[in-house]
Amino acid sequence: MKTLLSILLLLPLVGLAQSSAKLNKVITKLNTVKDYSVDVEVKADIPMIKILPSKAKVYFKQKDKFKVVSKGIVILPKQGFSEINTFLSDKSKYMAIEGDTSKIAGVVVQLITVIPSGEDNEIILAKLWVDDSRSLIIKTQITTKSNGTVTTNYTYGDMAKFALPSKMVFEIDVKKFKLPKSVAADINQRSTEKKDDKRTKGSITVNLSNYKVNTGLSDELFKKKS
Amino acid sequence: MLRKNTYNEFVKILSKPRSFLGIGALTLLILLIIFAMKADGKSIISFVTASFEQTLSFNGHILNGYLIAFIILQMLIVHVPLLVALVTGDLISGEAAMGTIRMLATKPISRTKIVLSKFIAGAIYTLILILWMGFLAVIVSQWIFGTGDLIVLNSDGLTILQEQDILWRFGAGFMVAYLALLTVSSLSICLSAFAENSIGPIVATMAIIILFTIIGTLDVSIFDTIKPYLFTTHMASWRSFFENPVDMGTIMESVLILVVHNILLVALAIWKFNRKDITS
Amino acid sequence: MSNTIIKVQHLSKRFGTFQAVKDVSFEVNKGDVFGFLGPNGAGKSTTIRCLLSLIKADAGSLELFGKNLSSDRNEILRQTGSIIEKPDFYKYMSARKNLEVFARISGADVDASDIQNMLEFVGLGDRGPHKVGGFSHGMKQRLGIAQTLLHNPELIILDEPTTGLDPQGIIEVRNLILKLKNEQHKTILLSSHQLSEIELIANRMVIINKGVSIVEGEVAELLNSTELMVSYEVENANDLVNYLTNAKPALHFQVISDRIVEIALNKNEVPALTEELIHARIRIHAIEPKRKLEDYFMKIIAS
Repeated sequence: MKTLLSILLLLPLVGLAQSSAKLNKVITKLNTVKDYSVDVEVKADIPMIKILPSKAKVYFKQKDKFKVVSKGIVILPKQGFSEINTFLSDKSKYMAIEGDTSKIAGVVVQLITVIPSGEDNEIILAKLWVDDSRSLIIKTQITTKSNGTVTTNYTYGDMAKFALPSKMVFEIDVKKFKLPKSVAADINQRSTEKKDDKRTKGSITVNLSNYKVNTGLSDELFKKKS
Repeated sequence: MLRKNTYNEFVKILSKPRSFLGIGALTLLILLIIFAMKADGKSIISFVTASFEQTLSFNGHILNGYLIAFIILQMLIVHVPLLVALVTGDLISGEAAMGTIRMLATKPISRTKIVLSKFIAGAIYTLILILWMGFLAVIVSQWIFGTGDLIVLNSDGLTILQEQDILWRFGAGFMVAYLALLTVSSLSICLSAFAENSIGPIVATMAIIILFTIIGTLDVSIFDTIKPYLFTTHMASWRSFFENPVDMGTIMESVLILVVHNILLVALAIWKFNRKDITS
Repeated sequence: MSNTIIKVQHLSKRFGTFQAVKDVSFEVNKGDVFGFLGPNGAGKSTTIRCLLSLIKADAGSLELFGKNLSSDRNEILRQTGSIIEKPDFYKYMSARKNLEVFARISGADVDASDIQNMLEFVGLGDRGPHKVGGFSHGMKQRLGIAQTLLHNPELIILDEPTTGLDPQGIIEVRNLILKLKNEQHKTILLSSHQLSEIELIANRMVIINKGVSIVEGEVAELLNSTELMVSYEVENANDLVNYLTNAKPALHFQVISDRIVEIALNKNEVPALTEELIHARIRIHAIEPKRKLEDYFMKIIAS
């Protein structure tokens, strides 16, 4: 979430030959939001993790301050967020190419592919599907070296004017999930038969509501308590 | 007479220094764990979530009292049986070694009631041990670390349980853990009926637990037939309360097997003690 | 109501290949101080343990208070107190607590004042709070007696109660037994190697050897039916020997020293012979009967 918004905010720095105008419109819209807080409900459906829907409050402040506050445990995707943030801040490190238009959920979207120019970036490839008519991101697909690919779908409600989604669905790679060896020996096991979940992908659905935009959040809020 | 002799047996247990040694050792172990978690609990959490944290971020108050309580229960499941056996393994054979069995067996109380009263007193001691453990693990940990959701690492992955859904699991888990420890108590008392010295039944109890635990953890299909009937297989059944959903069928099966073990062991002890010629 | 408190008939018990008791029978009547005698390994302890249900007999019958031990064990033991060999207590508990523990399951109503009174009775009044682990053997023996009497049993079984006691302790135990018999009319089964003590206090006895009962009956009758060896200490043993040889050729005698001669006599022959010796001007310094029971016992065992 945090990193996605950071990506979007930093996109003005991207040197785009053909799609910069469309991206710039999106970035301009996003720049109207200096800070916000939002209630989130997170539903995770990930192999090897069992968790009931959980609630949290998310705080964001320009340009990259982000905080999740929850009583319970909330799982959010992490892949490629901080890397894409640093990556997009330097225009010379990537190239943006406008691609085909297509439809996602009945909406016409423009594909914009962001390709890193150097070899030492964590991000290998970033794809953005943009609804030009409303200047909104509908879908992203970000591939990193160590963490595979995260695909994110966006749905907008009454906060579309700020380009703030009401729903985000993340699809993540779970191939690398492994249990620590010390847990492998289960003294509770009754037989040698093993139950394995063979899925390689998991999803996290985040419903966002009760946005409070530009309320003047203080930097103190984002400081980590020791 | 059963009630009176049970009271006697409990008085004897409380009069022995080793009974308090067990409680003291348990207290020290738990406080050590709490101290270690307070000092460096986050690295233990990272160990558990390491492979997931490449892709996911875990937000919230993870290092809370419930997690500490779970870790304590998990770590001590091997040690607490020894503390139980140290006291209960001595209940019959210790008296034989001391000669007091002679005095006891010439009183107007049947040998069956003598064994039953020792079993009940041992059960009460075991209950005190587990209640104390529960108090330190759950209550004291909450006081120091606060509350929150519980993240549990099972053999099939992570399970995250919501705060309001945890206490009853600990309650039920401790009850099943108590039943498991009661089985250890019954085993040691049963072995005590066959021995004439203090240390033999204690060592034998631990040896049996270790042997059965090893058989239970070996990933060899040849043992699959007997594993379900070993009481050590069911000693960790309390963990099943921390799955989602809770498999009550499996848990009840474990409870039944442990109850049957207890009945058989006590019956065997009564049979042996009734036949025994007391020559010491 | 029957006068017989203990009735043992054809008791036998084997431990592996060792036949500890082969055929032991005897009866103990109400009010008896009954001596249970036999050499080491005769089967006394095994018999007593059978009586107290510590050991299961292989064959024979055991009746106490007219009841069968197998079916009425608890009722019998409610009326029985015992010390078997050395009394053992819980070393980590005080004397008082030990008595409380045993009193609680004795079947009688015993309260704190009863316990204190009993401790005082056995001379441990101020040692109640002290751990038994620090007690001497004599103190443990006294505590054992306290434990035996605490619930006021009808029958008291004592197996070697004076073992390890000093002479004063032995006298105290003897006096206690006599007190229990004469004042409280208890029935006492007493197994002891102190034959002199048995002779002084027991009225009936049984002697067993190699797991078999050999002789049973009133102590006085059994001892009077045999000859005494009476030791005469005289001025000159030769004078006495000459007199006996000439005047009493049927009497058996043995010269012990130049002043002491032992003569085999029945008890009622002693006054007459003594008078004759005085008339014969044989100067007598002392007359002492040899321990009768000891002698009798050795004869029985040897035969």
